[in-house]
Amino acid sequence: MTISGLGPHGERAAPPERVSLLPEDRTAAKAAAWRVAVVMHTLESDWAKQLLAGMVGVFGDCGVVVTEVVDCGFNPRSQAAELDRLIGLRPDAIVSLPVANEEVAAAHGRVTAAGIRLVLLDNAPTGLLPGTHYTALVSSDNFGLGKIAAAGLAAHLPKDSEVGVLGFAADFFATNEREIAFSRWLQTNRPDIQLRVARFAEIDEAPKLAEQMVADYPKLAGLFVVWDTPAIEVARRLATIRLPRPMATVDLGEAVAIELAKGGSIVCVAAQQPSQHGIAAAQTAILSLLGRHVPAWVALPGLVVTRDNVIESFQTVWRQPAPREVLLSLKLSR
Amino acid sequence: MNDSARPQSDSGPGRSRGRPRNAEIAGPSLVDLLNLVRSGAATTRQELERTSTLGRAIVADRLAMLGDLGLIDESELGAATGGRAPRLVRFAARRATILVATLDQADIGVGVADLSGNLLTEHHEAADLTEPPAQLAERLVSLFRWSLERHSAPAGVWAISLSVPGVVQSTSEGSFLSATPPVLPAWEGFPLVETLTRSFAAPVWMRSGIETMTMGELYAGAGIGRHTMLFVKIDRRIGVGIVCDGQLYRGAQGAAGLIGSLPVSYGTRSGSLDALAGSEMIQREGHAAAAEGRSPLLADILRRTGEITAIDVSQAAQMGDAASATILTTTGHLVGQVVATLANALDPELIVLSGSLVQTNDTLLAAVREAVYGASHPLVTRDLRIIRSQMGSSGGLVGAARVASEALFAPDFLREWIMQRSPQSHPDFAALLSQLESPPSLASSPASPVPAVYLQGKDHST
Repeated sequence: MTISGLGPHGERAAPPERVSLLPEDRTAAKAAAWRVAVVMHTLESDWAKQLLAGMVGVFGDCGVVVTEVVDCGFNPRSQAAELDRLIGLRPDAIVSLPVANEEVAAAHGRVTAAGIRLVLLDNAPTGLLPGTHYTALVSSDNFGLGKIAAAGLAAHLPKDSEVGVLGFAADFFATNEREIAFSRWLQTNRPDIQLRVARFAEIDEAPKLAEQMVADYPKLAGLFVVWDTPAIEVARRLATIRLPRPMATVDLGEAVAIELAKGGSIVCVAAQQPSQHGIAAAQTAILSLLGRHVPAWVALPGLVVTRDNVIESFQTVWRQPAPREVLLSLKLSR
Repeated sequence: MNDSARPQSDSGPGRSRGRPRNAEIAGPSLVDLLNLVRSGAATTRQELERTSTLGRAIVADRLAMLGDLGLIDESELGAATGGRAPRLVRFAARRATILVATLDQADIGVGVADLSGNLLTEHHEAADLTEPPAQLAERLVSLFRWSLERHSAPAGVWAISLSVPGVVQSTSEGSFLSATPPVLPAWEGFPLVETLTRSFAAPVWMRSGIETMTMGELYAGAGIGRHTMLFVKIDRRIGVGIVCDGQLYRGAQGAAGLIGSLPVSYGTRSGSLDALAGSEMIQREGHAAAAEGRSPLLADILRRTGEITAIDVSQAAQMGDAASATILTTTGHLVGQVVATLANALDPELIVLSGSLVQTNDTLLAAVREAVYGASHPLVTRDLRIIRSQMGSSGGLVGAARVASEALFAPDFLREWIMQRSPQSHPDFAALLSQLESPPSLASSPASPVPAVYLQGKDHST
């Protein structure tokens, strides 16, 4: 798969292979015995857990101690406070997923100013520059994920219908890119489709917005929700009110995989590869600590997941067997 | 400076002669005080009195007016130095927004900036500038509208600033555009400026990509605080932005720094720098290296994708591919030799290399350094730093924002609109907008009428 998006500053993507570790890199890292802290937006989602597993594994292989893993609960103020606290503890590097844009930019800037390497996940607050304010950004090709979702949903949309887009209200690089790419793809390839957009600030707002959208727009023939946790809530709400719509989303969480396999309303998923993502982030941090030049933006391609390939995709993404419900739905287990 | 010393004139029909209203004589001092605040030269009333040499009562009166106009904010207190904490006077940079865009050969970027030229958000995506300009305009309008949904300001959009892949000839210094200048042959006859002006009711400025990127680097990148800098962009075309005495040097036609057309040679080949060192040459040489078996890595990419891009060659060089490294070293030496000539003429403190090829490998930077250091006077290179830009395409957006910000608040321009609260009230712009919005007469119908979709945008379509 190629990378179709550009980085937060218009950078061309570097593939994850560009940050591979050589045996001598691992040896040097072990000798240095670095300490690293990780700051996540949440630790609740399957994506976050898998990314963390991939990252911590590489750090372990290279003798890097993960001293803390912080859950910011999507809260910008909490993230800024946690970063300031971590700066006082002087780790060698911090891997952080900025939960907002302007509200957390200064705090992230202080990390690098304090001489601590900063590797960002998924989001680069506006005004922060690679090499100056942070080392590198490691993210999925979110633009590509939006295009995958649009192409997957388009097949289920009748001519001249409408599609609802449920975006994330926070100014966040990853979800912005998905939303823009989804709309762009339909505008180019299905100009007959009219888009209706709403944005949620909290996950539990998403099903309410979807219900309102379905009521307001009778021609609404499908929905795109920018990640899986709110998407599954939307699917459940619309099923409850008996107005299900074909849906596409991003991330192959367990619940979404089950919904996809049983032929529910979710018809296409653009899947990230969180384990690979975490591995690339850890490798980037280590190379940076070794003084090697690292690319400003390392991007991982997304996977197209439909009912036909949900089992193998689940295995690829999660490095474990698909849930029993998935196998049962597809009559591959008893 | 004292406003009361300025000549007072009759303010028009219907008004008796005599002492003019305060608002009418306040204009010049409002402009001066606002620019002192905006530039950060003064941040308290005391500093304004001292810096402007205006009396306390005048300063107080003018600050009250600027507050009423929504251009300053005095709600914060500064640090006390013994007595009462002074009230800070701050420029209300978030009162309105500036829409910015970079149009490059292979991508476009859009952003929203505040009135100080600080980016609030940005987005970049691949694009093909050889596509019909109407599609490009529609895309720009859509992305601008999408960005404004998240970053609107109380007073709306005050300016649009574009960075384009060609020379924008100098017009009257600082004035906005009333028509689309000839920038690219493919855009010939398409009213891009008129479309944007009408869509957002805001004046449009335009500069070349090399100029905006140089401005961005100067104000927000490695060039902060530098007085003399060369900004070299290596892409399909190779150009230089020149900063002298802390200011961008544009030249008589706005065409300063077009080094890509200089003749160079290596081995038996000779041609322009663009032809022998630009990304098209890198792509061509990379393809040849793959096809002739000199580069297993590029040959593998060619087998898988059917093509070799300049970025592929650049990334291959970084991964240790010898043939790719040789290609980039040749480019670096050729560019470096030309840049060394400029460096010897201008004695810069800093040379910044930019472009996606420079970002993706170290070989090119090393080769340029080698050539510049080898061909320059020792005094020129004694403290000279040659680095790569960290700003990417953001530099063009930041620079475009600075172009508009400086133009909006340039004293001559500001004086014409400050009392009317927004630059849309500037007499020249009001006349332009009225002309663009009025139905074309038979005598003056435009060559390419703008389809309605560009004027209204499309809801929720990005």
